[in-house]
Amino acid sequence: MSSYVLSPFNQTCYQLINKYFGEIVGEVAKFLLRRRYGTLFNIKTGTGMSLWDVKRALAVLIHQNLVEFQANEQNPNIVDYSIIYHNAHCLLRYAKYLYTIKRIFGSSEEVLIEILLKIGQASASDLIFQSANKLNEAIDDVKVINPSDLYQSFQRLATENFIIRCPKIVKSNAFVEKVPKLLEFEDEEKFIVPQLEMEPIAKLLREKATQIGEHSDSEIIWRVNHQRFDVELRNVILVNAAARRVDEKAGHLYHLILKLWREANPAEARASKGVSHILIKDAVRKNDGRSPMLMEHFDQYLRVLCEDSTGLISRTGDSRGGQFAVNYADVFENLACAILDSVVLERFGTKALRIFKLTRMQKFIDQDHMQKLAMVSPKDAKTLSYKLMENNFLKIKELKKGTSNVGPVKSFNLFHVNLPEVVRGVLHSSYKCLSNAMERQTHDLTINKRLLERHADFEKTLEQLRGEDAPDNAIAEFSQSMTVADKELVAKILKLSDNLTLAQSQADETILILESYLKFHSMPMPMFYSMP
Amino acid sequence: MASANSDEPSPAASTVNDDGRSEAEIEARMLELLHQFPKGISNKILDTDMPTVNKQIKVNILNELMSKGKVSMFKAAGTQELFWCLKSHPTSRIKGADNEERVVLGLIEEAGNKGIWTKDIRIKSSLSQATLNKVLKALEGKKVIKFVSSVSAPKIKLYMLFNLQPDRSITGRLWYNNENNEFESELVDLLNHQCFEMLQQQKEIAQQKQNEGPVTVRNSSFLSSKEICQVSSDMKLVKFNLTVEDIETILDALVFEGKVEKSTASDGNCNEKVKMYRSVAQPVPFASITKTPCGVCPVINKCGKVGAIQPKMCKYFNEWE
Repeated sequence: MSSYVLSPFNQTCYQLINKYFGEIVGEVAKFLLRRRYGTLFNIKTGTGMSLWDVKRALAVLIHQNLVEFQANEQNPNIVDYSIIYHNAHCLLRYAKYLYTIKRIFGSSEEVLIEILLKIGQASASDLIFQSANKLNEAIDDVKVINPSDLYQSFQRLATENFIIRCPKIVKSNAFVEKVPKLLEFEDEEKFIVPQLEMEPIAKLLREKATQIGEHSDSEIIWRVNHQRFDVELRNVILVNAAARRVDEKAGHLYHLILKLWREANPAEARASKGVSHILIKDAVRKNDGRSPMLMEHFDQYLRVLCEDSTGLISRTGDSRGGQFAVNYADVFENLACAILDSVVLERFGTKALRIFKLTRMQKFIDQDHMQKLAMVSPKDAKTLSYKLMENNFLKIKELKKGTSNVGPVKSFNLFHVNLPEVVRGVLHSSYKCLSNAMERQTHDLTINKRLLERHADFEKTLEQLRGEDAPDNAIAEFSQSMTVADKELVAKILKLSDNLTLAQSQADETILILESYLKFHSMPMPMFYSMP
Repeated sequence: MASANSDEPSPAASTVNDDGRSEAEIEARMLELLHQFPKGISNKILDTDMPTVNKQIKVNILNELMSKGKVSMFKAAGTQELFWCLKSHPTSRIKGADNEERVVLGLIEEAGNKGIWTKDIRIKSSLSQATLNKVLKALEGKKVIKFVSSVSAPKIKLYMLFNLQPDRSITGRLWYNNENNEFESELVDLLNHQCFEMLQQQKEIAQQKQNEGPVTVRNSSFLSSKEICQVSSDMKLVKFNLTVEDIETILDALVFEGKVEKSTASDGNCNEKVKMYRSVAQPVPFASITKTPCGVCPVINKCGKVGAIQPKMCKYFNEWE
């Protein structure tokens, strides 16, 4: 086993994989995270594990959509394996995915997604079969779940693009290739659900079979579409921002408009195409039941959202009542700035926030002006600006003044903020925050494993006693078998563990916004806004 | 006063004038007249009042009064006539002040709030540099005058009376304490807090108009800088007057904290642009990582897998509620 330190992002991915799939898979993943590409032999020597172990680990990872393979450039007979970094990070968000699905659809879709996340890749029939089994176990009903309902749920998920088809293997009849090639589908075909007969599945369910066996669509494999879930999580943030800036109804309106934009542009771009006023009004009218006041003041809400400085909507044209689009780069820049401001405020104080924000707004500013505009004393201004510089929030640019060659050269020292760099810095510390929380959690739970197991047994026996209606003094006697100090310690450990889980999801929220900013910022600018 | 009478050189018998008054009495009468006419008395008035007194005596007495610093002499602009009037702040409160000091002090007093530059004093009093320096040192030592530095030209020294507040144009802004040139952070914080409270209240009032639509809500949550200045001055938070510019600097500081948003609108009455401010909420309330100990940890850069600072033994986690 080699010991080296991974960057915080890689560290979090490794910890997640380790947590969900075990040590062997974790080691292989660690090697690939660091090395980016690896052949089978590399991985074997790098991790020091047996070939059999490495093969099984890789199989698991590929099936879970965490690793992909391709033929090596130099030698097409050898396979290069590489980690899909984004999917590894998304392991953290699985709980959020389930919650999102439940919120939008319902519990049957939630079960489908849960099973699919657990398996990784599955065909439609297999998925429906297993979900039906799970629902049966949960409900404990005599009646068997009707798989046609699940089939409809499956179709709904596919139309909304939450699940996507995996690329298929190209079968070439000319010669058998050593490394199978995968062919991605066209955009339209990615979400088409094959026609399925539910009768065979229903029959199997009645027979209480555990496996589906042979079925017609075993070649058509589906997986969870992480991009779509990302878009959904991002939309939640944007809707919340709209609600905070104006009010709740503006949030509803923005939610509807986001849906329209998604329908208009399937691909992710820096700025969306325009959607006309008429379309938006129609959508609001259809949705009128939820917020009647929205219809009444529809124009006003639209106007207020447009004029808001966060850039949630921008008017791009006047045809058909007005064209409204969003520039994701701008919106996320404002959101990222809000995040950075909050970080500066919490770490360094109000005065430092004033200095940071004013430097960012003024682009370049020197020490004197900064002190005057920020209304801080000169000494404070100096200490805080140097502290911010130390932590890479501010930078100095030197401009020489005067051309006299005699005497010391005087120069302007201007402060400025390099936004992408600062965002990357905070992103780095967010990943570190995340990995620290996970590390502490696993450490705590392993160190106190015996104590926690004892406590779990104790609780179970207590429940049993209560259930059996044992006499009170027996219960009291038993409950004293665990000391008060022990109980307190267990309570403390569990509380910290909960807090750490919460911390992980909080760090993930910040990471989502900052990553979105960097992603949209680096996308190329659109050549022109196209006409509808 | 009585002795002065006998010491006076008496040019002929007219020292004792016709209505039998002594010098002292004439002086007293003159002072009465000066009090009666605070705007000044001219020769004519003196003549009508005391026709019998010799001109020379009057001149002598006036000169003496002037040298004691109780009276000052002016020339009327139109008629070039000479006036004498009583001085409001008799500089004779300085005991044993000599003439030079009195002259210099007089000039400094005249300058009032604005202060006067050493070079100006030298020109007006036509004293030499060395004498002037000596005089200024003496006066400073007696705590009668003080010097302040002006914002416009930080190197020059301006002198003014000790108990006067320097004018706004000199110190540049009122945020500096005039004693030791310190920045008044408490004042800034107080005003900051006050303005923000005002804007929050305005926002709450505006929220009650929900039924009229969001545009009305937004527009009525704005307050112009003039209105804020008016309310702050009425509250008499500070001793001196607050101008609109001062309030604007405070409000700009609030903009830089992200709590307040600024926009310009045209005033209904006149055509000038007015700056409007309103309290806003940030699109993202706070960065979630700041709620965790790692987000605000001062030693996050030193945290790692080995060494003294590890998440396994982090005391911030231990203390985290």
